[in-house]
Amino acid sequence: MKISVLKPVLVSNQERAKENRIFFDKTNSLVLNIIGSPGSGKTSVIEQIVKRLKSKYKILVIEGDIKGSIDSKKLSKLKIDTIQINTVTECHLDAFMTAQALPQIKKPYNLILVENVGNLVCPAEFEIGEDYKIAILSTPEGDDKPLKYPLVFHLAKVVIINKVDLSPYLDFNIKKARKNIVSKNPKSVIFEVSAKTGKGFDKLINFLEKELVNKR
Amino acid sequence: MHEYSVTKSLVDLCNQEAEKNKIKRVRLIKIKLGKFTGFSSESINFYFDYLKGNTRCKNAKLEFFEIPIKIRCKDCGYEDTIEEPIFICPKCSKMDIEVITGREFYVESIEGE
Repeated sequence: MKISVLKPVLVSNQERAKENRIFFDKTNSLVLNIIGSPGSGKTSVIEQIVKRLKSKYKILVIEGDIKGSIDSKKLSKLKIDTIQINTVTECHLDAFMTAQALPQIKKPYNLILVENVGNLVCPAEFEIGEDYKIAILSTPEGDDKPLKYPLVFHLAKVVIINKVDLSPYLDFNIKKARKNIVSKNPKSVIFEVSAKTGKGFDKLINFLEKELVNKR
Repeated sequence: MHEYSVTKSLVDLCNQEAEKNKIKRVRLIKIKLGKFTGFSSESINFYFDYLKGNTRCKNAKLEFFEIPIKIRCKDCGYEDTIEEPIFICPKCSKMDIEVITGREFYVESIEGE
C-alpha cells in the first residue's frame, strides 16, 4: 500500500514557529533572529542596538547558547530583560526551544532580539517565529563566507558586516563581500559597522526604527 | 549535528502517517530534498538507521529525490536550472530572482503493509 504524504519533514517545527508568531503578533513585537559564527560579534552588535534604543522602546533579548549564561548576564547589565535558553546538544535554536521562553514573557515588548547559537549553517533552516533573519559577518572571517554559506545569506533580509575597524589589518575586501552577499540575496540590506567603535550604527538604528514604527 | 533532530522529526512524521493509515510495517519512504537546503541525505540516512528503532519504520528504507535549483528572472522572465546558488540572471544580469524550486524537504509518500 502506498500513501501520499506531501508533508514537510519540519512540519512540526513550522507549526510551532507559526504558534510563536501568533504569540508575538499579540503585542506587535518585531522579532529578529540574529545568526552568525561564534565570535562574529552578535552579542556586541546587540549591545550597541540596545544602548541606542532602550530609552524609546521596550526590548527583550533571548539568548541561545549551548551552555551557560555569559551573554545574557552581559546584556542584563544594560538593565533590559533577557531570557537564556540552553540548547545543550543542539547547534541551533528551533521553534520548540524558542517556545520555552514564551511563558517568561510577561510584558509587551516592541523589539525582541534573538541571539542564535554561534553557527552559520544550521540556524538557517529552523524558523522560530521571527519577522526575519539578520546575518552577521565579521571582517576577520573573510569576504568569501557568503559563497561558502549561501543559505543563511540567501535567507537573511539584513546582513551586518561587523569589525570594519579591523579592515586595514586584514585581506577583507568590502566591495567583494557586498558582491558576494548580493549574489545570494539581491534584496539584502547591508550595513557596515564596528560594534567596538560604534561606527555605522546610526544607519542601522535608523533602519530598525523605521521597522519598529511600521510594526505599530 | 542538526540532521539528528531533523531525522527524529522524519521518523515521528512517518510513524504518525503510518498509524493514521493503518500501515503496520513501513517499507519505503520517498523524500524530496531540494539542492538548496541545509540537509544532507547521507547524514539523514545515517541517523535514520539509528532512530527508526523498534517503530513501524524499523524495516523502512529511505529514497531521496533531489530537486534542482530552478530560478526565474522577474525582469526578463528567463527561467533555468542553476548548479550554484548565484542569484543573478544569466541572460540579462539583473538580480530580481525568484527561487522556484530547490528549497523543498518533504515526505512525498510512504509504502508498506
